[in-house]
Amino acid sequence: MATEQQSGEALSESRRSGPYASAVNWMEALSETQFAYLLLTPALILLGVIALYPLATTFSMSLFADQLTGSARLGEFVGLQNYIDLITGARDFALPSAFLPTFTTQFPFVTDIYSSALMVTLIFTVFSVLFETLIGFGQALILDQDFRGRRWVRVAIIIPWAVPIVIQGMIWYLMFQPNIGFLVGTTDNPALLNQLGFIGTTPLRDTADSLFLIIVADVWKTSAFMALLILAGMQSIDRSLYDVAKVAGASRWQQFKLITFPLILPTVLVAMLFRTIDAMRVYGIIETMAGCQTVPSLSCLVVTTFNAPLYGTSATVAFITAGIIGIVVSVYIVNFASEGI
Amino acid sequence: MSNESSGIGLGSDDAEMKRGPLGRWVNKAIKNPDRAYRSMFYVATVFFLVTTLFPFYWLLVIALTPNRLISNMGLLPKGFNPEVFITMFERVPFHLYMFNSFVLGITTTVIVLLLASLAGYVFGRLRFPGKSFLMLGILAISYFPPAAFLIPLFELFTGNTAISIGFITVSSPDLFNTPAPMVFPFSALFLPLSIFILTTFYGQIPDGLEDAARVEGTTRLGALFRVIVPLSAPGVATAGVLTFIAVYNEFFFSFLMNNGEASSWAPIVAGILKYQGQFDTPYNLMAAASIVGVLPVAILVIIAQERIVSGLTAGALKE
Amino acid sequence: MGDVKLEHVSKHYDDVTAVDDMNLDINDGEFICLVGPSGCGKSTTMEMIAGLTIPSEGKVFIGDREVTNLPPKDRGVAMVFQNIALFPHMDVYDNISFGLRLRNYDKEEIERRVNRAADVVQLEGMLERMPDEMSGGQRQRVAIARAIVRNPGVFLMDEPLANLDAKLRVHMRTELQRLHKELDTTIIYVTHDQAEAMTMSDRIAVIDSGQLQQIDPPLVCYNEPANLFVAGFIGSPSMNFLDGEVTEDGFVSQNIDVEFDPANLGVEVGRDVTLGIRPEDVYLIEDEHLVTNPSHEIDAMTDVLEPMGDEIFVYLKLEEDAETHLDEDAVATNDQLLMSVAPDTDIEEDKDVSVLLDRSKVHLFDTETGKAISHGIESGIQASEPTGTEAESDD
Repeated sequence: MATEQQSGEALSESRRSGPYASAVNWMEALSETQFAYLLLTPALILLGVIALYPLATTFSMSLFADQLTGSARLGEFVGLQNYIDLITGARDFALPSAFLPTFTTQFPFVTDIYSSALMVTLIFTVFSVLFETLIGFGQALILDQDFRGRRWVRVAIIIPWAVPIVIQGMIWYLMFQPNIGFLVGTTDNPALLNQLGFIGTTPLRDTADSLFLIIVADVWKTSAFMALLILAGMQSIDRSLYDVAKVAGASRWQQFKLITFPLILPTVLVAMLFRTIDAMRVYGIIETMAGCQTVPSLSCLVVTTFNAPLYGTSATVAFITAGIIGIVVSVYIVNFASEGI
Repeated sequence: MSNESSGIGLGSDDAEMKRGPLGRWVNKAIKNPDRAYRSMFYVATVFFLVTTLFPFYWLLVIALTPNRLISNMGLLPKGFNPEVFITMFERVPFHLYMFNSFVLGITTTVIVLLLASLAGYVFGRLRFPGKSFLMLGILAISYFPPAAFLIPLFELFTGNTAISIGFITVSSPDLFNTPAPMVFPFSALFLPLSIFILTTFYGQIPDGLEDAARVEGTTRLGALFRVIVPLSAPGVATAGVLTFIAVYNEFFFSFLMNNGEASSWAPIVAGILKYQGQFDTPYNLMAAASIVGVLPVAILVIIAQERIVSGLTAGALKE
Repeated sequence: MGDVKLEHVSKHYDDVTAVDDMNLDINDGEFICLVGPSGCGKSTTMEMIAGLTIPSEGKVFIGDREVTNLPPKDRGVAMVFQNIALFPHMDVYDNISFGLRLRNYDKEEIERRVNRAADVVQLEGMLERMPDEMSGGQRQRVAIARAIVRNPGVFLMDEPLANLDAKLRVHMRTELQRLHKELDTTIIYVTHDQAEAMTMSDRIAVIDSGQLQQIDPPLVCYNEPANLFVAGFIGSPSMNFLDGEVTEDGFVSQNIDVEFDPANLGVEVGRDVTLGIRPEDVYLIEDEHLVTNPSHEIDAMTDVLEPMGDEIFVYLKLEEDAETHLDEDAVATNDQLLMSVAPDTDIEEDKDVSVLLDRSKVHLFDTETGKAISHGIESGIQASEPTGTEAESDD
């Protein structure tokens, strides 16, 4: 038996030669920490080249003036002047759309809300996240029930989430392009939505109307995402808690209020955080439905100034957007922390 | 008034008759709240089904109606024109754009799964200094808007970035209108989600199995690919499906990192937008192309819905 | 080929020391049990032999090779795990042949070896089953077959029977002993169950707090424990301990005195010592004729009786209001004594009795260091010094 073992070991020993084998042996000899960093290297290189390097470059570009003539990309070093100009509105004259709204002394103290990239983005974010959460919650409550055909209802509710943004835009463009369908009428023959004052007769040319429709389109697509996350949270709740509540005589509403809601709240807040980050970068749906001229979001402003080409300004807007997202994330995290989640 | 007071004497039968069918229903519902909940449930279900599915139906209505007849459409198509699904390919080579989307999606998915498998193994199973810092860093990167990466990446992939190695300075290769300017940003963009999903799955494989594989003769990497990955097949499938859908749906880089021609690897974003802006606006073709473009992901969702749900749970909520 | 040696091996995790300066010398073909309470470092020791953990200090040898930093695959060891660790995505045949396939053995050779291994563990006809279609015992056999199929120089078993039910565990114990006889390979077996260690092994290595306490054949560990820990850990129920002092007349404690001549044992008067006596070495006064070297009478009161069938455990109170501690911790209680008597003994709870100790079975330990001073106090087998690490190697 001992001889057999020796021959077996010898067999494998003899195969252990050549560069491949020495690479294998070298890797096996690494400590756990070295091995961990070795395996992370490809991912870190990718993220370094595609994310960190561009971020650093974008930041440094934002410190230079725009160069409108000549072959150079950027003008002279201006430090934080781009940021100051943008925040004070001094740069607005050069931009396709203003960064900030115009402030006034009279109530409501701001005008030109819809031509301000910041305001458009914030309005979009607040309303879309709010309604996506509410509707997603409703959808999750339904999907949490056991009923026949649940599988297909679930597919139906998820599918909008899987629709490519460009097709999402196309769908809503085809629904609200004047004269195509019953949703938008003419001045002589207004449709229901026109009569109710939700939208005008050329909604995709009007900033307020377009913003409203873009929010609706986004809610249509993304509520499903919220629903899935909330559903996952609901299904991780221990079912025996409900049995305890039932035995104690709690009604369905009380079960929801006392068990489901508090246990699901952390999940909902995390889901809202993810959605908020995403909503702050809205671009594709605007570009396909109404165009960046009509609804200037922050990401739109980055692209339009980039195409202008106002590289310094574009980089500054991009970094301010990142900063605003950072602030929003911190607000959420501070609130999480204060609620002890 | 006297009538009412006497009504009590007449018994509840009479009162119920007076209230009519709705009143009777309300009455029953109050007596039996489960009934009310069931009805609310059905109403809500139907409402959500209608609102999520109506836009798809509208696409079908527009697609089947000949373009010249598209105006003031009601709920039904005016005419029946299935040839639109052939015409759309004649007008724009949409199949090529879809092919490009598939190639981009699959290439990205393969890269992401490979890198995320290694990283997920490291984060899920190894102990080493700097672990939580690195995980937070990777999460933080996904907070930045794609716009913040745009200019340098555009420069990098159009060959306008100079790379200095010692005294030698070379400019980056011009990769514009190849898959590279899309595949790499996609991979970086969607890598974090897959890393988090696979970290969760790989972390759940019992240590004994990895140890057994290593004692039996595998290397550490061998144990990962022979035992841990096969056992985490559901997690890998989830990460793959989510990555593919995300790439297929992506807009920003898909739109900006190519010249919009099918021969330059532009994905369906460009294909859909290509119908617009010619001499007419062929609404029916746009609708038809949208339907065809949605089909692959719709089928994927139908097949993989369980995986998607479990993956989002694992990836998004465990942080 | 199959001898294993650890030289001054330690393993530190952050600020915890799991294994502290361990020296082990295991002979080829030996069945060694590493035994100790959970968290004592026995599993870490085994992982360092397997190569799954790299020692912080010290060297590991298998055969005549130093393997301290070699990966597990190059060590020629096989291992059976507590959670059995069969690959759930492979059938029995693929599980058993996993290691052979990795080493590129040819097909017929693999088949021949798998069939023979399956034969040894009596798994014929089950090679195509998946692990989740098998019972716990069958899975454990597959795990053993997977280990023996490669003819490893050393077999490592990490609590392989811990997850089986009691009946199957006893059965598998016998099977493992049969297997050891058949294969004649070194087996290093980790367990927290001292009974398992006692019944199966050639030698027992008792480990506590990362340190080797004693390595000796089972009966030596039982009869001549090197220190208080080993004395308390080996044997069930545990040895009785009484704290006391050495005087001119022998051992004196709160309730029990045992006379001996301190000069004979070489202990100085006034030293704090702990007396240890196993329950079976405590006798009722009626059974005095069974004892060659009795102590004088001790008055006690019976408390709880635990009839076990083949014997009865009697908890004796040495003081009126003493409380009975039914735990098995090896702590000196002083006011209580556990005695084991024959099952037909006429004994009742809460009765006054007189008992005596077999003086040739009394152990004395230094209370402070825990080291054994003497095993038996008349003729006095003096405890070897120092015990454990260097002083063994008997067979």
